[in-house]
Amino acid sequence: MAVIRVRRAFWPLVLSLSVAVPLLSALQFWGFRGGDPRAWDFDPDARAEFQFVRYAYGSGRDGERWGRRRGGWRTDWPDAEYHLTNGISRLTMIDTAYGGRFFDPMDEELFDYPWVYAVEVGRWYLDDQEAARLREYLLRGGFLVVDDFHGSYEWAGFASSMNRVFPDRSIVEIPETDPLLHTLYDLDHRTQVPGIQYVWSGTTWEDDGYTPHWRGIYDDSERLMVAINFNMDLGDAWEHADTPEYPESMTALAYRFAVNYVIYAMTH
Amino acid sequence: MFEFFFKYPLAAYRKGEFLFASGWAVWLLPILALGAAAGLLWHARRARSRLTGPALWGVWALQAGSAAVVLTMAWQPALAIQSLKSQQNAVAVLLDTSQSMSFGAQGVSRLAAASSALSERVLPALSQKFRVRLFGFSGEPERLGSLAPEALPEPGPSTGVGESVLRVLRESTALPLGAVLVVSDGSDNSERFGRDMMSEIRRYNVPVHTIGVGRESIEGDIELAEVSVASRSMPRSRVSAQVTLRHDGTDDRQTRITVRDGPSVLASKAVTLRAGEPVRREWIDFGAGDAGVRNLAFAAEPLPGEEISGNNLRQSVLDVPRRRRRILYVEGEPRWQYKFMRRAVHKDASVQLVSLLRTSTNKFYRQGVDTPEQLEDGFPAEEKELFAYDALIIGSFEAAFFSPKQQVAIREFVSRRGGSLMMLGGRSGLGAGGWQNSEIVDVLPVQLESGPASFLRERAKVELAPQGRDSLVCRLDSDPARNAELWDEMPELADFQLLGELKPAAVTLLSVRRGRAALPLLVRQNYGRGRAAIFATGGSWRWRMGLPSDDERHDTFWRQLLRSLVAGTGGTVRLSSARSSYADESRIDFRVEVRDRDYTLANNAQVTATVTPENGPVATLDLRPSATEPGIYAGEVDAEQPGVYRIETVARLGEERLGADSLHVRREDGVAEYFHPERNGELLARLASQTGGRYWDLDELDGLAGEIRFSEAGITSREVLDLWDMPAVFLLLLLLRGAEWMLRKRWGVV
Repeated sequence: MAVIRVRRAFWPLVLSLSVAVPLLSALQFWGFRGGDPRAWDFDPDARAEFQFVRYAYGSGRDGERWGRRRGGWRTDWPDAEYHLTNGISRLTMIDTAYGGRFFDPMDEELFDYPWVYAVEVGRWYLDDQEAARLREYLLRGGFLVVDDFHGSYEWAGFASSMNRVFPDRSIVEIPETDPLLHTLYDLDHRTQVPGIQYVWSGTTWEDDGYTPHWRGIYDDSERLMVAINFNMDLGDAWEHADTPEYPESMTALAYRFAVNYVIYAMTH
Repeated sequence: MFEFFFKYPLAAYRKGEFLFASGWAVWLLPILALGAAAGLLWHARRARSRLTGPALWGVWALQAGSAAVVLTMAWQPALAIQSLKSQQNAVAVLLDTSQSMSFGAQGVSRLAAASSALSERVLPALSQKFRVRLFGFSGEPERLGSLAPEALPEPGPSTGVGESVLRVLRESTALPLGAVLVVSDGSDNSERFGRDMMSEIRRYNVPVHTIGVGRESIEGDIELAEVSVASRSMPRSRVSAQVTLRHDGTDDRQTRITVRDGPSVLASKAVTLRAGEPVRREWIDFGAGDAGVRNLAFAAEPLPGEEISGNNLRQSVLDVPRRRRRILYVEGEPRWQYKFMRRAVHKDASVQLVSLLRTSTNKFYRQGVDTPEQLEDGFPAEEKELFAYDALIIGSFEAAFFSPKQQVAIREFVSRRGGSLMMLGGRSGLGAGGWQNSEIVDVLPVQLESGPASFLRERAKVELAPQGRDSLVCRLDSDPARNAELWDEMPELADFQLLGELKPAAVTLLSVRRGRAALPLLVRQNYGRGRAAIFATGGSWRWRMGLPSDDERHDTFWRQLLRSLVAGTGGTVRLSSARSSYADESRIDFRVEVRDRDYTLANNAQVTATVTPENGPVATLDLRPSATEPGIYAGEVDAEQPGVYRIETVARLGEERLGADSLHVRREDGVAEYFHPERNGELLARLASQTGGRYWDLDELDGLAGEIRFSEAGITSREVLDLWDMPAVFLLLLLLRGAEWMLRKRWGVV
């Protein structure tokens, strides 16, 4: 009897596993590691001068399910944070917390962290309230770094929400003389830092984003408030710092940009 | 009354020498008095049947007293005194003819009342015994022919009681001057009548009698008694002026203080003057504006029907030099406070914040430098390079990073150069950075606590310390209550650092609340020529990120804090004057402190001053070094014309130009007399008592001429004044005998 019962359960078990394993793999690929992401912070109460903070925007562009539910904001999380914060600690005098944090756009606590990182912003959507809050954050002295969006379609998506944040300010190319590129490292901004897809595709660009752009939005005193990495994926370069196939030189360059961004935010 | 009973004025008794004119032996007097008393007692005891007990002793005492008085009279008591010889001495009468004597009551001016009293009650009596020399005075005395209104001079713009008396005394050395009589309201505004002048007057040994004129309190008058305000400020700074208001204190009164620069109103504030509080001090803040010269006018709104409104206005000059102050900020680690501090002063044209930030273990990031070479080798290695800054801020930086020579240079930067040092809290700052064992430990206002545990990344609420409420550094609003409210609403600090015990001269402006304890956060003290401060946090940036973007509190605080560091820091040449406004004084005095390139006092410099009046010719002076103060060069200039005077000074050492400085001062006429318009009886009484004269009231001048007679100045003779026949003696005898008779009658033994 027991043998018969096992035989009856075999095929449903196989069927269940054949569905569950690819599903869990896909979820992991998209960043769904399960549970409350705060639990992945190694030291959520870490008290340090600099904390890596993600901007956890909530809804996707054109009704796409790209925001908080699909987790586009936490792409590359948490390895990018772990690797980068270690690097900042090692390379600079900045008192840096290990790992990272994230906050909703309307979270008041965001104002306690004057540096924030937003990823996959080609598909983000900020409503008027969120745009106003981000504008206030930046005008008080906060600094936003956006990353990992490519091509004209995603640029339009980013610009649409950004224009809601600053309808009266232009997005401009950052000149090579800008202090951003010279705070700790003297950097040129011609090298395109590719995402992990470079490992299997061999191309540094995605979609029609062939040319890298370092763009920004300045305040009235010519200080950068928003640093825009367009047609690049610094987050992947940080995340895959320990991936043997990913070029080390790209990771090193991405680290340097990140260090300059943080120091710039702390000095300007 | 005294003179009626005792025959002579009180002054005669004070000045005279008591003696017995009979020539009999004085020792005989008490023996005879005792003998008489014994005889009377013997006689009374014989009559015991009629007088007993207390009656016997009472009658005996009265009889013995009468006998003693009679015996004393027989010895002819007298006063030997020096007195002025009649018609051989002069008396100088000085009548105050200044502007304040034109004030009055019931339509009669002080001058008219004084002239009338002199003419009718004083001068006739004086003229009988002395030659009277009549003077009118305000600033300086001048002879008067008579007291007729047309003979009196125009009201003078100032009153110099002491100077006028001294002048008359000096000019009368060849005359037998018996006394000086000053008739005045005592409103001396020369500011020179001090202890030295009083001593000089006393040296002439001429008694000065004074007659006080006018009311001692003027009802319904507000006086802007004093304005205390800096003579220099940095462009676009907040300036705080302390205004002292006086009123009669009889009733609550409302007024408004206004500060103007020409037609522009800089600040205005309503003030309630409380009954019983005749002096009130108020702070009023205003903006210094752009570089230039501010002609400040402080005015108190007159009360309805106020008689004297000329004392409701004070004028002053505020120099706002264009010089940009340089602050060197060295920071050991990138952190948010660095960014937000820089942003706070980013648009401040008067402060140049040069910063040196250690970004990694071997790299520095420089901001605010003038040239690519500036600070290229890190923190200045030589004094000279460091002394080019006005203030130094050291952030989260361990002491060991600085060489002993650099630490000594930092100490000298404060003590000798006169710069400011401010240290910030941080994980490598203050005690956590080992600064308690450094060369600058004496400079700091606290005894630092050691160890990294002193720096706490804990949120902390900031509180205004008592001294902070009065400090411009912590002034977020000119209204004290609103200022306290604004501080109370401030977001918590991100971190703070524990400090040790405060040094005796340290002042706490801000503190943080930790449990029940208020721990010092912003502390400062003077050290040598400079100042030192500690701001024990790296987390004030939360005041910026935690408040709306249009809220200026964070930036205002930092601007004021940084400006306070450099506002008092001068260069090698520092020019100053005693006052920024000279009212009715025609002489402006100033002094220059000169230091060489090492900021050592220079005694052998060539210092010149150029004085440019608003109207009139330019004067150039060579200043001489002070004999008593090293490095000090003093000068004074005649400033007859009212207006603003610009004083520029240049110091040279051989061919080397050490430095230059400039200053503006204001000269005004017709102002001083409106201040302190009430009678200054205290000054007149002091002048009289110090010189052997007497202070008289205008309504009680009887006996003045008689008292003036007893003077040791001038041509005098020794006079013996009989006392035995004074009415008081006979009255005493009458009282003694009358009392005996009354007692005998009562006891039935008449």
